[in-house]
Amino acid sequence: METEIRFTHRSLVENSKSGDRTSQYQLYELYVDAMYNVSMRFLGIKEDAEDIVQDSFVDAFKNLEKFKYESSFGAWLKRIVINKSINHLKVKRLPLAAIDEHEYHLTNEVEYEQVDAMDILKVKSGIEKLPLGYKQIINLYLLEGYDHNEISDVLGITTSTSKSQYHRAKKKLVEIINGL
Amino acid sequence: MDQFEKHIRDNKAVFDDHRADREKIWANIASQLNEERTKEIPLWKSPMLRIAASILILLGISGAIGFNFFASPTTESQFVSQELQDIDMHYQGLVSYQVQLVQNNSQLSDADKEEFLSFMVELDAEYEQLKLEMQNNLDNEQVLEAIVANYRKRIELIENLLQQLNESKIKEDDYGYTL
Repeated sequence: METEIRFTHRSLVENSKSGDRTSQYQLYELYVDAMYNVSMRFLGIKEDAEDIVQDSFVDAFKNLEKFKYESSFGAWLKRIVINKSINHLKVKRLPLAAIDEHEYHLTNEVEYEQVDAMDILKVKSGIEKLPLGYKQIINLYLLEGYDHNEISDVLGITTSTSKSQYHRAKKKLVEIINGL
Repeated sequence: MDQFEKHIRDNKAVFDDHRADREKIWANIASQLNEERTKEIPLWKSPMLRIAASILILLGISGAIGFNFFASPTTESQFVSQELQDIDMHYQGLVSYQVQLVQNNSQLSDADKEEFLSFMVELDAEYEQLKLEMQNNLDNEQVLEAIVANYRKRIELIENLLQQLNESKIKEDDYGYTL
């Protein structure tokens, strides 16, 4: 099963490797919306997200020979988009994680109050209201499906920091949702 | 994973609510990829240029090897050419000094000077040929000797000429006394 996922759109990828513009466009069409949404969740600004998506596709097509089917093409591309989005935030000097706050809560098991979790739209607007550092980690873990190892890699933090940051972020999210 | 997390992941589609401006983004991507193509392809992806570049590199390498091979006795040739240079400097200085003496000599007619200097020009030509020969056979002692002989001949000729001039001067002086 895993093999099948990794080789999704293989012929399109192979044709794109040899510079076939039609295949490249087909891949682009398949992934552009997903990638745009990933970038929008991190950056929140339409123009910035468009720039990141554009650069990511250009980089991906230029470096396609480095893609060896160790993951699916979509996951590989998403990694490029996420890395570029996070670098963009770094360049803007926006805080990626509120490190000074989380240390106190390392051992605290957060008590999740009964949330109106069924209202997914509330959750969505709750995430948007999170401080930027928390928002990144919630995005990466809950929406992009990254584990703490991958998050620590992308954000340049330790796995334990990633875990504690995530729990803190989740608690904050619950508070926000309950206040809505 | 708790219910809260599960619920979010199950409804992930809700979070993908943005639509990209496909045409605009693709236009930029395509133009960047085209730029890259026009930059790169003529140089590295054209088979003809690849072949040409390979031939050039091969010629360069073989040329460098050949040069090193034929110029192999480097220390010796350096020594010989240094020796030649020293000799050259020494004799060139002597010859040019004496040629100057001849040219400045007031007792010689212009025709005589011209005849003498044309002879020197012949020896110059011979010297140039010997120098060429020297480049081909750097360690050839015979050529080196011939070069030295060429210089000596020139100096000898000049010395003879100057001596003759001086002798005639002395004779004239003596003649004056006898009178």
